[in-house]
This record gives sequence, structure tokens and C-alpha cells, in this order.
Amino acid sequence: MAEALVIRNLSRRFGGLRAVQDVSFAVNECETVALIGPNGAGKTTSFNLITGHCRPDAGSVLAFGRELVGLRPHEICAHGLARTFQVARPFGKMTVLANVMTGAFLRDRRLEIARQQAREAIDFVGLAAKEHTPARELTTIDQRRLELARALATQPRLLLLDEVMAGLNPAEIDQAVALVKKLSQRGLTIVIVEHVMRAIMAVARHIVVLDHGQKIAEGNPREVVANPDVIRAYLGTGYAQPAAAGESHC
Amino acid sequence: MRRFVSQGGFWVGALAVIAVALPLLVSSTFAIDIFIRILLFAFIGVAWNLMGGYAKQLSLGHAAYFGLGAYTSTILLIRYGVSPWIGMLAGGIVAMLASLPIGALSTILLIRYGVSPWIGMLAGGIVAMLASLPIGALCFRLRGPYFAIATIATAQVLMLLFLKFRDFAWGAEGTTMPNLGDAPLMMQFDSKAPYYYVVLVLLAVGLAITYWIERSWMGYYLVAVGEDEDAAEAIGVDTLRIKRNIYLISAFLTALAGTFYVQYIYFIDPNTAFSFNVSVEAALVSIVGGIGTLWGPVIGTVLLEVTSALLQSWLGGGHGGVQLTVYSLILIAVILYRPAGLIGILTAAYDRVIAGTKRVNKVSLDG
Repeated sequence: MAEALVIRNLSRRFGGLRAVQDVSFAVNECETVALIGPNGAGKTTSFNLITGHCRPDAGSVLAFGRELVGLRPHEICAHGLARTFQVARPFGKMTVLANVMTGAFLRDRRLEIARQQAREAIDFVGLAAKEHTPARELTTIDQRRLELARALATQPRLLLLDEVMAGLNPAEIDQAVALVKKLSQRGLTIVIVEHVMRAIMAVARHIVVLDHGQKIAEGNPREVVANPDVIRAYLGTGYAQPAAAGESHC
Repeated sequence: MRRFVSQGGFWVGALAVIAVALPLLVSSTFAIDIFIRILLFAFIGVAWNLMGGYAKQLSLGHAAYFGLGAYTSTILLIRYGVSPWIGMLAGGIVAMLASLPIGALSTILLIRYGVSPWIGMLAGGIVAMLASLPIGALCFRLRGPYFAIATIATAQVLMLLFLKFRDFAWGAEGTTMPNLGDAPLMMQFDSKAPYYYVVLVLLAVGLAITYWIERSWMGYYLVAVGEDEDAAEAIGVDTLRIKRNIYLISAFLTALAGTFYVQYIYFIDPNTAFSFNVSVEAALVSIVGGIGTLWGPVIGTVLLEVTSALLQSWLGGGHGGVQLTVYSLILIAVILYRPAGLIGILTAAYDRVIAGTKRVNKVSLDG
């Protein structure tokens, strides 16, 4: 299976803090990989380093055979990597449709085509009824949906999702899990940062565990949740293992 | 929606007819002078609004481009006898190049050394572009207040330079335009009405460009940049490039206004051409009228200029400063109670009274 994303020895410090330290991992095409770890482990920083929002001090990020370090975020997006932000960042005064169209313009500058692409993405995340609502009037959860739709409108090959399920109730988590699985079935490679273990076990085929900026474990979900280091650093000793059901669709 | 578009078209048409007929109906030169000022500042506001309103790149240095337009055409006119009509475009181009800042200096220097203005323009343009690339790149990386400060500095530096350039730019004392009588080809007219039509056409062009941008992908990108630059980058918007491009357009249009203004008042000096007032007014009319909207700058200018003209004729003279105080109070009131600009009140009234419908939020750029 071809590798979509290869991260080698990625490092970044902020002053005295080593936010990400010598982290390496790879993501195969069409695979869903979860990045987990306690708060401050370096998950979001890793995303920022991959998507060009922050420059690594050392290391390399290879996506679909191209080195991304040194590229600007918009170039990385054009190369087929789209992300969501941990705290959703919609364009508040635009409507849902206009937000998503702005993403769609990356691939086609014509209004009609962009509108059509945008509607597809909006339907996909289930926001069709709120197409004309200004983004700032949406609930937090709908803003996350919007951000996902906006990212999808750029027609990515690799999607980086930063805690899209935080704050959702169990029913909403089930919906979100179904959505992620549907994306994976469409052939998208996904890297997901998440705290909801139930969701991770449901979608991820491979898990990378970070702690204090370093990778402390990686493997299939069953191995990872049984790993004593992971239990100590993140899961806690009371953690009961849910069944792993992650899959690959290629 | 279609019904609204045709209705909107009707009102724009009506407005245009009134604007065209105005000099025929009003004979007072004082009044026409005020109309010219309104159209001129509405035009500058429209130019400013493209980047300051849609993309929220707060420029407080648009006098730089106004002044460059004014000086380029004046130098070409007086030194080389080039018609201000051509000088206007040259000034626009110089301002565009300078908008990747400060580049224009090299343009002027080349002109200074006696090279034909046409070759000089071209060569100067290239030198200016090269010289300005690093500075421009730096400027567009600045965000928020830092960008605003950089724009103020650009305008101030240009003013100081033109104060020093005595030999070919007449230094601090400035110069008057040669009076050629009624010479339409040299942008000189013996009555005020033709000036009125010139600036009316400029405003119409500015509005048409804004209308077109607002309805294309560029409008979406500009608003996205204004809302959240990082999020825009993340979905593939080259924010530096779109900011640069809109700044080029904005600077070009502002320079046209500069040329027109000095040709209209027959005088130029650094304090007029690079007046901080121009920078402030460009921003103010848009903010008061409604930033990031097509008609905002026009509405803002009408209100501010009419108010200031009326106050001046009622309160001016003896009670120095009273009219400025009242003017400032009106300004404060607008900004306090209508931070989104007066256009909100007008569109709401329009929807209620004339269209009889509640429209989907317009700012939303819904295509």
C-alpha cells in the first residue's frame, strides 16, 4: 500500500518547551490514523507543522511524494491536504454556502461550479437546511460541520481532523463516527486527533500516541490500548478496552 | 431574487440619471464644487474600500497613492507637456508599483535624468518593482495595526521626499498648473460642469470594478482574508497574493483621483498631495457608510461632505472650530450607534418600504 504521508524526525520548540520532539510516523493511503495523547502532548502542533501553519525546526513531511516543509499553507492545501482547526474558524459574516464556496474556488474559479461543489459538501455534512445562515449564528457543533464541509470543498486527498468530536453528546458522536467512516470509504486518507476513545476505536486502523512531544507508542488499536506506557501516560489504569473496529477501504 | 435585481437596477439607473442631470439643474458654482468634492471622495472611498473594507486591510496611507498620481501627472505635464489624461494613467501605474511600497522614487529619479517619460516610465517601473519587492513583501506580512502603521509611514516618507525634491518637484512651495484655457485634451475646462462629469465617470468605473469583484471569486477571497487569514490560507487562499493584487487596484484608482484633484484645483504641493486628511477621509467615508459594501463609501461621503459643507456655511467664520466639533460629534454618534455603517439603515428602509420583503443578509455574499 502506498504511503500518503511520511513524517520523519519532526521537531519544534517554543522557547524552552519542546512541543514536538523527533516524531516519525507514516500514514498509508486510504487509511485512518489517530493521533492521541494527553493535553499538551504536541498533537495540534504536529498538525500545524504538517499543514505549514508553523515551521518545524527539523525533520521532514512527505505527502504523496512531495516535501511539504517550507511550503505555505495554501500551497499545501492545493497539494491535497485539508485540515480543520481545534476551535472552528468559520468566516463569521459569510453564509454557510459562501464559506464553503470559498473553499471550492481553489479547484474552480467559476461561481456556478463552486456553488455546486459547495452544495455537495454541505449536504454531506448535513447542513443543507442552514445554507443561508451566516456562519457566526451557527452552534459550535454546526460550525465544526461547516469547517469540515469547507475543507472537503477543496477536494483533499488527505484530511486532518483536529478534535472534531469534542463536546458532542453520544448520539452526535455516533453521527460523527459515521461521517468519518463515510469519508474513509470514499478513499480519503484521514489523520484524526481525538480524545473520545470510543470514536477512535471505531474509526482508526492505526494509532500513534504522543506524550510531552514524543512518540511513546504506535500500533493497531488493540495493541496500543494494552500498552502499559500508554495506560500510564494517557488512558489511566481504570480504562476498559472497547472493541477495535477500524478498517481500510482500499 | 431576480425581481430584486431588476428593481435594484432601476434605482441605480434613476440615480445615474439624476447624477448626470445635476449640473444642468444647478447653476451655483459653489454647489457644483461641493458635488465634485463628494464624487471625488466617494471615488477615493470606493478605492480604499476594496482593500480596507472587503479584505479589512486598514490603510491609513492612501494619500501616498493620491500624491503619487498627482505628482506623476503634474511632472509629466509641466516638464514634458504630456496631457494629464495620459499622466493620469501613468500616475496610476506609478502608484500601483509604489503600492508594493515606495518603489516610485526610482521612477521619479529616472524621469529626473532626462530620459523620455515613456522609456523612463517603463524603466522606472521595472526598477521600482525590483526595489519594492522586498519592502512590499515585508509590508503585506504585517497584520492589523502594524499594517496600518506601515501605510502611514509610507505616505509620510513620500511627503518628506517631495518636500526635499526642489529641482524637479518644486519642493515645499509647490507649483501652479499652466493655464491653457479651455483645453479638454489637457484636462482643463473653463467651467466646472466638465470636471463634474470626469469625476462622475471615475466614480462609475470604481463602482463597476467593485461590483464585478464582489460577485466573483475574488470577493469571496477578500472577505475570507478579512475574516480570518489563517483559516483562509488553510483552504488554499494565497493571502499575500490576493492582498497585493487588491492593493494594486486600490492604489491605481486612488492615483487617478490624485491627478484629477490637482488638475481641478490648478495647484500642487506636498502638503496637498500627501495630505493625511486624504488618507483619513478615504477610510472615514467607507467606515461611516458601511465598509465592505458597494454603496457604503458613496453614502458615507454624501453624509460627511454635505454635513461639513452645511456646517461650514452656517457655523463657519466667527466661531472657529464649532463646525469641526459638531462634525466630530456626528462621527462619534455614527461609530457608536451604527458600527456597521449607515448602509444598514438604508437597506432596511429600502426592504421595508420599497421592496416590501425581507432580504437574505446581503453582506453574506451569497452569490
